[in-house]
Amino acid sequence: MSEVVKEKITAVDTVTCTIDGQQITVPRGTSVFDAAGQIGIVIPAFCNHAKLKPVGACRMCYVEIEKMPKLQVSCATMATDGMVVSTNSQQVREGRKAVIEFTLINHPLDCPTCDKGGECDLQDLTFDHGYDDSRFGFDKMRFIEEEKRDTFDDLKIGPEIVLNRNRCILCYKCVRANKEAFGEYDIGAFERGDLTEINATPGGEVSNPFSGNLVEICPVGALTNSDWRYKIRVWLTKTVPSICNFSGSGTNITFYKEDHKNFVYRVTSRCNDAIDDGWLSDITRYGYQIVNSESRLKTPLIKKGGKQVKASWDEALAVIKKHMGQIKDQSGGVCIGGLISPSLDNASLYSFSKLFRTVFKSNNIDFRGDYRYLPSVTDSLFTIAASQPFSISDIEKSDVIITFGTDLIREHHNEYLKIRRAVNFYNSTVYSVNPYAVKTADIAKSEMVYSPGTDELVINGICLVAIEKKLVNSSAAAKLKSKISKLSPGVLAKLTGLSKEQFEELAEAISSAKKVTFIVGEIVARSLDRDKICAALSNLNKLFGVQDKGQLAVLSRYANSKGAQKLGLSATPYEIVKDELKKIWGEYPDCQPRNTDAMINLMKKEEIKGFITVGANPMRLYPDRSFASEGLEHVDFLVACDMFETETTELADVVLPLCSWAEYDGDYINLEGKVQTGKQAIKPKYESKAAFEIMELIARQLGAKLFENEQVKNEEIEKLLKLDSVLPWPDDFLKIEYEKKSSQDGYPVPLFICDDPHHSGHLTEKSPSLLNFSDSAYVELSKGLAAKIGVADGDPLRVESPVGKIVVPAKISPVLNSDVAIIPRNFSSTQTTSLLMRKKRVDSVKLTRVEE
Amino acid sequence: MTFYSPVLTNAKEIAGHDKLHLFEFVEDEKQYQLKRYLKHGGYAAWKTVLGKMKPEEVIEEVKKSGLRGRGGAGFPTGMKWSFVPKDSPKERYLCCNADESEPGTCKDRVLMERDPHVVIEGMAIGAYAIGCHLMFCYIRGEFHHCIERIEKATEEAYSKGHLGKNIYGSGYDLEMIIHTGAGAYMCGEETGLLNSIEGEKGMARIRPPFPAIEGLWECPTIVNNVESLAAVPHIINRGADWYRSMGTEKSAGTKLFSLSGHINRPGNYEVELGFSLQKLIYDSNYGNGISDGKKLKAVIPGGVSTPFLTPDKVDVPLDYESLTEAGSMLGSGGVIVLHEDTCIVWTILKLIKFFRHESCGKCTPCREGTGWLEQIIQKIEDGRGGPDDLEKLDSICGNILGRTICPLGDAAVMPIQSTLKDWRDEWLYHIEHKKCLVKQDFGF
Ligand SMILES: Cc1cc2nc3c(=O)[nH]c(=O)nc-3n(C[C@H](O)[C@H](O)[C@H](O)COP(=O)(O)O)c2cc1C
Ligand code: SF4
Ligand code: SF4
Ligand code: FES
Repeated sequence: MSEVVKEKITAVDTVTCTIDGQQITVPRGTSVFDAAGQIGIVIPAFCNHAKLKPVGACRMCYVEIEKMPKLQVSCATMATDGMVVSTNSQQVREGRKAVIEFTLINHPLDCPTCDKGGECDLQDLTFDHGYDDSRFGFDKMRFIEEEKRDTFDDLKIGPEIVLNRNRCILCYKCVRANKEAFGEYDIGAFERGDLTEINATPGGEVSNPFSGNLVEICPVGALTNSDWRYKIRVWLTKTVPSICNFSGSGTNITFYKEDHKNFVYRVTSRCNDAIDDGWLSDITRYGYQIVNSESRLKTPLIKKGGKQVKASWDEALAVIKKHMGQIKDQSGGVCIGGLISPSLDNASLYSFSKLFRTVFKSNNIDFRGDYRYLPSVTDSLFTIAASQPFSISDIEKSDVIITFGTDLIREHHNEYLKIRRAVNFYNSTVYSVNPYAVKTADIAKSEMVYSPGTDELVINGICLVAIEKKLVNSSAAAKLKSKISKLSPGVLAKLTGLSKEQFEELAEAISSAKKVTFIVGEIVARSLDRDKICAALSNLNKLFGVQDKGQLAVLSRYANSKGAQKLGLSATPYEIVKDELKKIWGEYPDCQPRNTDAMINLMKKEEIKGFITVGANPMRLYPDRSFASEGLEHVDFLVACDMFETETTELADVVLPLCSWAEYDGDYINLEGKVQTGKQAIKPKYESKAAFEIMELIARQLGAKLFENEQVKNEEIEKLLKLDSVLPWPDDFLKIEYEKKSSQDGYPVPLFICDDPHHSGHLTEKSPSLLNFSDSAYVELSKGLAAKIGVADGDPLRVESPVGKIVVPAKISPVLNSDVAIIPRNFSSTQTTSLLMRKKRVDSVKLTRVEE
Repeated sequence: MTFYSPVLTNAKEIAGHDKLHLFEFVEDEKQYQLKRYLKHGGYAAWKTVLGKMKPEEVIEEVKKSGLRGRGGAGFPTGMKWSFVPKDSPKERYLCCNADESEPGTCKDRVLMERDPHVVIEGMAIGAYAIGCHLMFCYIRGEFHHCIERIEKATEEAYSKGHLGKNIYGSGYDLEMIIHTGAGAYMCGEETGLLNSIEGEKGMARIRPPFPAIEGLWECPTIVNNVESLAAVPHIINRGADWYRSMGTEKSAGTKLFSLSGHINRPGNYEVELGFSLQKLIYDSNYGNGISDGKKLKAVIPGGVSTPFLTPDKVDVPLDYESLTEAGSMLGSGGVIVLHEDTCIVWTILKLIKFFRHESCGKCTPCREGTGWLEQIIQKIEDGRGGPDDLEKLDSICGNILGRTICPLGDAAVMPIQSTLKDWRDEWLYHIEHKKCLVKQDFGF
């Protein structure tokens, strides 16, 4: 492109206007409000929100524009060339004053008892722009609802949300965010005129997984939550920047803490446009409550006479020294293994690895305790797929987005919202391709539900149809065809339950896209045949050149999964990581690497005698409970570090109280590979310690030392983080064998065990607020399946697999439309993973009504 | 009764008239049936359009005719159609605004009940002009009879191939959906109407984007009044020049006026634009004078959203420009006549109650201001007014006028402002004497 043409384009794409005498050039389509903001002119506003479409409702943001006789609302007026704007003229000031006056006539002005006091937009703007006293001489309108009355005007409209309609200034931000950003409709505006009220939909409650945001964006005290209200005044708290610990996205958050009580009072967003747009899932917002939980492990415990009793750190460490020392000396460090949670910070993960590899000289470590039967090789296709680069902000830049094998609302809340944004604000087209119907699909152009366990066949189908329709490069087509053409598209369609037309639609979409985002999620990651599926994805990527015009990756699920991968926390780290470790340490154990699966097997054979878990709870989360428990029960000496007593700590000989991420500074690497710091908000509660500290203490007990000082530790970590962690895809197209798998007789319903939309992993059940949304297990099924079995919503249902049985209430899903069962794994009260078999591609169950 | 709504019209005068046309057949009891409609030349324009005209030519013809929107704002119809982006890959929609809720206005209803096919034909031609294949007719929910007639007529039109697939073998497909309202004045406001069709609350949307660019489901959408669309087949049949030959230079064609209030012959009358308001009120063919031989006090010329005219201003031509000049608006053509016994404060109280009740509640000045205004006016009406109340009314009205999302806010205050100016003595009397200046005797 010539310079002239380029200049022309930029000239067309920007406009230059004058605001309060200052010239500014902004992209076309920028509102006057935002343009003013860019030169530091803050226009007062109530209803405007940077991430929502302007509605011009509150009228607070008036400006005067030359040649326009009326005041204009700056939030909904786009800057144009030559526009001359005044944000503070006499007319503007009067206009604002009038709006404040109108807004206040029916507002209760109960600031002293309102929890928003101190951070209320109305309070602030009234001070700056309002009248000193009121010209309104009438009684204010009041909303009262006798039966539901909580404390005077308060109305509980959801598990967490309390509404005070009298304080509401009808900016409609709550309703708009719910619809535009979250795709939810559980809050609405009812009635008309000055009787208009915000409320939950009739007969419903505001309980969507993003509902906490409504409270945060409410400019006044109309929406508050039970988490924060009346606990403390905002000006008595201090803020600390941190990162969400429950997701892979690294959503940015702010802790509000109070030092004397050493207490965290709430979490709010800390908008990072590149990641989260300032929206938090409820898990992120309320999950912090686990930090304050009374049920946290307060001291170390040691087993005495079959019972765990309180002990001091010195006592506990002495026991560890004795037993681990013994195992190490008598049987060798290779008889010690460990499993760490990928939600822990870099320093903890790295210290863990260093403890095992340099002190025990063992390669028995892993961070993936909830994936069955992971391959024990460095460069499995799954590992390659999971190492691919991914950018969250590129999602909305993609014209075509494909979500494959991922139930985003249960796995990746942040990306779930990004995709909605891409559709609602950037006209992206989404295709949802999953083994069951998912919530994301309401914004998808097409939803394709394939038969569980046929994931790779779907990908093959797309590739073959693309070849058939000549949508792809012909030499590549010929090469791939020779590898995968055993089954024709027609047969693949039949096997997968999709149609050739659907394959074609996807092939068309990928090949014609300018920029693609192809998201692969937990359904693939948790599959026994994840490598086979990733082989198919490797072919697809090459055939269509997906990564040449976009991104394709298996997204990392946990707060620091990416960090664990980069720091070499798997039994088989990347070669370059291994080499670097060798360089740093001057040694590297040359014994067999064993991942979770292999370790549990060896426990059963009593070849692993000592085991350390750090924040990991394999007893709950490993997808085959009896396999995990058989192993762990055989371990001679089990050390478990956690914030809480868990199914795993129960078995331990020594239990050590672990800090939460709010209690120390830690670095975390999000699914994009971005390193972010979570700052310490409060001092470690009770006697808990950070994992990196515990690892150092154990090392020293055994006569070693992990790090001379913190600087050394950081430098070592830095060296590893510098390495390129993207693994190359194989050069060639791959053959994909098809094995016919018969379904288990008598167990007709495919089962998926995942997270509840309000929970993540095993810790969030300690958050009272999250329990208010969902507090026990259930089996979610389609209306059709429920009818077939003859159960209604809430009826108890017996769920049986060949290896386990549970009884849980039925939950009729508004989304599911095929015969599958979904059960959450987040509640200790139900052993859901006892239904799973680790070598099964698709678990399946039998569902029967419990007769009363 | 042959007609559902026994409204008086001037159809007789029109019979054989070479200009007036909208009401030509409204006294024909069978006009609502397709057979009769066809006999009277119905769907000829639609055939001409599909057979011989390009969409641009239709737009051009309507532009040339000078037809302006009859829903209230008087925006040139052809020009509005031309705003639909030609190269947009999106669907386009046309909505016929049949929500007629402006107090004092009841003309669309007569057309829909008595000549429903002309509405459908006009919609079809408009749809074709903008490249729309799915059109909506949004009918006021209380108009049971209109709904019935339009539904019936639509069925007939489909069954005889005037709507549906491949109409008249032209390859053009056009579907129609009838959507009924649920009792909100705001759903007649074009963006409230769009929200309502989308299943949202009937609240206004801020403009821009204008519906012609982003309307229903963010696709280009044209909203036109029933009467505007009903004029279109006539324009196609008889030509833009014929249409232009009626009315005035800037206000071409004819207009339906709904005459009501203290008048001897309330009814719907079709006249050329520029017709004298004086004549409409007093001529025996039309209003035939003020009821009970009383003196005229005020006229609301264009539905209750328009400023009141004092008797000295009644000798005014009924066209867009002249009424604006006289300090009011042509609006939707709902002429309400008030005689000398009418209390201005009482009348305004009725109006503000209506506007407060109908405010959608989206923007602050209208939502809060209408309620405040009502309470002050009620206070004055009740004899509890205070000395600073009129200034307060002036100031509140000023804080609403031109400051709202949709024109309902303006509509609510303009009548108040006009009476505060022209009948201030009466307002003052109310406050000072705690009672009415006029004898309270209301006939409507
Ligand atoms: C509060 C309000 C109510 C309205 N009600 C109607 C109505 O009932 N019918 C109508 O045709 N236009 C109504 N309008 C005008 C419409 O917004 C719109 O301008 C009109 O339908 C456009 O059609 P036209 O160009 O054919 O006049 C209303 C406007 C406002 C502000
Ligand atoms: S509840 Fe809060 S966010 Fe919702 S409309 Fe009222 S003031 Fe706005
Ligand atoms: S002016 Fe009134 S009716 Fe119109 S948008 Fe505002 S509140 Fe709604
Ligand atoms: S901020 Fe612009 S109208 Fe509310």
